[in-house]
Amino acid sequence: MSAGLMSVSVRKIGAYALFCCDCAVSTLQHGVRWNRVMEEGHKLGVKAFPVLAVMAVFVGTNLAIQGFTAFRQLGAGSLLGMFVALAGVREVCPILAATMIAAKGGTEMTAQLAVMNTKEQIDALEVMAVDPRAELVAPSVFAIMLVLPALTIIAVAFSIGAAYLVAVHQLHVGSGDFLYHCLGNFRIYDLWVGLLKACVFGIVIASVSGYFGFHSERGPAGVGRSTNQAVVAMCVVCVSLNFLLSAIAYG
Amino acid sequence: MASFSFGRERGHPIICFRNVRKAFGPKVVLDGVDMELRSGETSVIIGPSGAGKSVCLKLLVGLLEPDQGEVWVDGVQVNSANENDLYALRKRIGMLFQDGALFDSMSVADNIAFPLRRHTRLGEDAIRAKVCAVLDQVGLPGVEQQMPAELSGGMRKRVSLARAIITEPQIILFDEPNSGLDPVRSDEIDALIQRMKVELGITFVIISHDIVGTFRVADHIAMLHGGTLIAQGSPSDLLRSPKAEVRRFLSRNLGLPSLPERP
Repeated sequence: MSAGLMSVSVRKIGAYALFCCDCAVSTLQHGVRWNRVMEEGHKLGVKAFPVLAVMAVFVGTNLAIQGFTAFRQLGAGSLLGMFVALAGVREVCPILAATMIAAKGGTEMTAQLAVMNTKEQIDALEVMAVDPRAELVAPSVFAIMLVLPALTIIAVAFSIGAAYLVAVHQLHVGSGDFLYHCLGNFRIYDLWVGLLKACVFGIVIASVSGYFGFHSERGPAGVGRSTNQAVVAMCVVCVSLNFLLSAIAYG
Repeated sequence: MASFSFGRERGHPIICFRNVRKAFGPKVVLDGVDMELRSGETSVIIGPSGAGKSVCLKLLVGLLEPDQGEVWVDGVQVNSANENDLYALRKRIGMLFQDGALFDSMSVADNIAFPLRRHTRLGEDAIRAKVCAVLDQVGLPGVEQQMPAELSGGMRKRVSLARAIITEPQIILFDEPNSGLDPVRSDEIDALIQRMKVELGITFVIISHDIVGTFRVADHIAMLHGGTLIAQGSPSDLLRSPKAEVRRFLSRNLGLPSLPERP
């Protein structure tokens, strides 16, 4: 990485950290508007649910097929239930739900804030003595933090359900074997780690969306660019944090 | 630190710029501006594009900070005020943005009621009554349920003015109130400003390119050029100014004879 690019990246990370501190201080000073949190949460959850359910089903089916192919070579096809439970709960479902919220809720939030910035609506809030961070970013942070763990649990249920159907009806794994290994290896600790990941991803998605929305250049090109940068940053940060959290929890 | 005596009576200084300098990177937008605007008057800041007019307005409300100098508004030094003082000051200021800056997701009524819902404990009935009253005042009765996207440019500016006056501020700032409007709508906005000036009797600060409208509404005019204040005074003072930049700027619309530029 060239020195110039490194310096820009460090500046951006610093600016993002400052933005997060500002948001936290504003929220502490001005409080949280819970009716907006509920509105945002409802909107995000309802919008993301159908797509997430479809994706979770097909991720579950493919986990079953790939897991069965690998374990059959070892003569342990019946361990498929364990593989689906571990991979689904610990890794795939939290990141799947986060990606879905980043793609749907995060990009929408960045684009809306960037348009508001372009149309001086964020300045208008400031001039009306309303803190725009507490008004626009804080409710989304709390909404995503509430919705993402719920969506993660839904993704776990749909993916394990789909994997069970494929395992039993297509791959002819015994129903009892699948459930025994799946439930036997399904620990509450794993679910807590998955939910913790979902909370962390939620904070990242909302704060990164807010940062790029607030700092977008004015005009349509600026809105497009900031939305694009936001989704890339959200995905990279979430995947990196996923590794870090897994390493801490299981490494 | 110097302080200034402020008063709310008409004619006392309410806004002061003291040796204000503001640069964006290498580009110096304001360079040592000293300006005093008086309470109860309508002051218009004019100047060519890029002269720093909008930056003045943003400095006034603390959206930007000067690199040097002091900005005082109604007894508060904006550039060093803490957040509480700044927010308390902003509650005494209304601002009309160039394109209205109405919130797209809210109806006209919700846009206008927004500052009341945030800063007062008024009940919904009282808020609705106030919204209707200010919409009448700006000549737009019956548009409460429309969305901003359904309004014309002139209507958006009127709704924005209604939102600015609903909290009964002491100072109203206008950022290019005539920009993007045809001459007829532009005249309507000027007439509305003149009427508000008489009805409200408060301080108006207007940023404008529109020279004809400026001379219609202004009690005081300040002209920025190249980041410095090159002239200020009453409209008749400006008309008598011997400065070439001032006369050239005014001549196009007012038919003044343009003086040759000094070497």
